[in-house]
Amino acid sequence: MVHISDGVLAEWLWGGGWAVTAIILAYALSKMKTEDVPRLSVITAAVFVSSLIHLSIGPTSVHFILNGFAGVMLGILAYPCIFVALVLQCFLFGHGGVTTIGINTVNMGVPALVAYLIFRAGTGLDIRPETKSVASLFGAIAGGVGVVLALLFLAVELITTGEEFIETTVLVMSTHVPIIAVEAIFTGVIVGFIATVEPELFGKK
Amino acid sequence: MISEIDRYASLSSPIHRWDPRFRLVSIFTLIFSVVLLYNLQLVIIGMIFAVILTCTSKIPFSFVLARMKLVFIFVIPFFIIIPFTIIGTGVEIASFSGITLSYRGIEYVLFAAMIVLKALTAVMLIFPMIGTSRMDITIKALEGLHLPNKLVQMFAFTYRYIFVLDDEFMRTDRALAARGFKKRGNMYTLTTVSKAIAMLFVKSYERADRVFYAMRSKGYTGTIATLHEFHARKQDWVNTAVVIGFALLLQVAATSDTFIATRGFI
Repeated sequence: MVHISDGVLAEWLWGGGWAVTAIILAYALSKMKTEDVPRLSVITAAVFVSSLIHLSIGPTSVHFILNGFAGVMLGILAYPCIFVALVLQCFLFGHGGVTTIGINTVNMGVPALVAYLIFRAGTGLDIRPETKSVASLFGAIAGGVGVVLALLFLAVELITTGEEFIETTVLVMSTHVPIIAVEAIFTGVIVGFIATVEPELFGKK
Repeated sequence: MISEIDRYASLSSPIHRWDPRFRLVSIFTLIFSVVLLYNLQLVIIGMIFAVILTCTSKIPFSFVLARMKLVFIFVIPFFIIIPFTIIGTGVEIASFSGITLSYRGIEYVLFAAMIVLKALTAVMLIFPMIGTSRMDITIKALEGLHLPNKLVQMFAFTYRYIFVLDDEFMRTDRALAARGFKKRGNMYTLTTVSKAIAMLFVKSYERADRVFYAMRSKGYTGTIATLHEFHARKQDWVNTAVVIGFALLLQVAATSDTFIATRGFI
């Protein structure tokens, strides 16, 4: 996924990103228990590691984003996970920017929450090996929506920053179309797999 | 696959000796200050300062440059595209499928250069900021700065698990390769990789629970325990004053008439 670098966006955008992130983060942390920390960290690390796996599809190389998946698995707690993953990605790899961590978390985290709501509405969180196909279907939808919304957020931010970014935005969007499909299939498969192997993981929030 | 940012944490330099709490706050301020600049000369001055800090920290430049590659991937398109594609008048070069290429002149190149330099400076500053002490010490410094405890714990655990899971995934990858699996751009590859990652999640969940109970039974309460204690010395305050002073100076200079801000060309 494209993480916005420093110095590209207008100040009010990345400043606003920090404000929104601080609010959601504070709320999510208040919902979080100390016992949750290791499990959330494992998911965060797994999201981080999976996002390093590159698949070449056609002329482009894509990698998993997994924000929709994090949302499906963790609900509101996906937000701190994505925040931690982005901070580490920024500091360990120089991926994205420092001042833009706030807005990048919004770009990935808010779609994750939407993905969770879709998944919850679709499956009612009643996940058993027998309801695997429903879970898979809504997992796929949630995964796809996660990426589509993230791209949409990015596009809106770049365009509101300045007209000079319109062409860049078109370019970035078009290279990311395959990722939507990849992510949807991926989230569908993985949710179906977990529904068969260890369905109780969905209840652990 | 993943190389550690704190590979050069054991070197000895003024930056390494600087108290991590002060170092984090100071350089973080400097990064924000540079990103807030809208004048090419000032950004270049900021960049020179970042290079000086990196050199002082003795972290090899080759290591820094290798990490900066990813930034280029995001920023270079701006550099190439902006001077040509701004809507409006200009010397039209080519037009295809609704996208007109037109060259608008040197000031657009300079604007794009400013964006690229700001992004690179910010990433370069991460090295003196994070790369100069061991990651566990850095995380302890975050605790010392009164970040929410659960967040600090998440950083500590996640950082540890990244390397564990990376090894774990490498094992799965080898097992797949041993059975003749090759990554291709097809559906079969996608579902196989998805299932491998799904298994990684299931295994990791169980591992996390086991580890947590083990830590609990050994008396873990959530505070980061290391043998390292922080003591602020006079030199720490001096370093902080220099870096934050420079960050403020850049902002003061930005308000003067000498350095005119260029905020895009809308």
